[in-house]
Amino acid sequence: MTSLVPLGAFIAISAALFFIGVAGVLVRRNAVVILMCVELMLNAANLAFVAFSRRLGLLDERGSVFVVFVFVVAASEVAVGLAIVLAAYRNRPTVDVDQVHEMKG
Amino acid sequence: MLDVIEPIVFGLLSLMILGSGLGVVLSGRITTSALLMAFTFLNMAGMFVLLGAETIAAFQILIYVGAITVLILYGVMFTPQAPRAYGLFFQKQTPAGAVLAALAALPVMAVGFAFRDSGTLPPRGGDLRPLATSVFTDFAFPFEVASVLLLAAMVGAIVLVKRDR
Repeated sequence: MTSLVPLGAFIAISAALFFIGVAGVLVRRNAVVILMCVELMLNAANLAFVAFSRRLGLLDERGSVFVVFVFVVAASEVAVGLAIVLAAYRNRPTVDVDQVHEMKG
Repeated sequence: MLDVIEPIVFGLLSLMILGSGLGVVLSGRITTSALLMAFTFLNMAGMFVLLGAETIAAFQILIYVGAITVLILYGVMFTPQAPRAYGLFFQKQTPAGAVLAALAALPVMAVGFAFRDSGTLPPRGGDLRPLATSVFTDFAFPFEVASVLLLAAMVGAIVLVKRDR
């Protein structure tokens, strides 16, 4: 049984979503939205992992195992990231990354 | 008949992923951004099912759509989101950032389209058994390290938001 959707199409969608996330991180100034865009980038990487794992035929299920670890890292990242945003907001009432520059040299 | 359905489903899913992904970046209201992010994750789970990774799709819905979206919505709830002019939603270096992202994206997407696979689908029967075998044999040590990481993240998040008394 063959598939009509090539591997390259999945990789292209993954790359497109990844760079949508990159653009969001670079362009938006709300810290919570930046966290959302980082999650989009991680999920795009997941799609590439699963696509290679299922379609390349060499890696058996190891790509999917890495996806599970990416889930773990994403969950910890968003928990700690939101905690940092909330702690920064408590010290100074803003979530604009442009205005949080206490550590600027 | 089945051969026609798969590209159609793929096209619909990718359209919704890219559309709602752009919506996350461009939307002026932060709650809209958060819910569109959940919608992107949901469609990504559909993409995983299309690739034959049903277990990963189930994890995706549980962790991303369930847990991470709720966490982000809590973050939205606890920070003020005053209405303001649309231009103020973006940073000062917006044109430079957009140009930089586009310049980096073009070669990567060109390489992505160049990949050719064997065209054969993996055997049916789900991916739960090989995934579980892999996690608990070859990757048993990283699995334990991941649980330590989750514990450290949980303690760290609690310490960071704890009020000093």
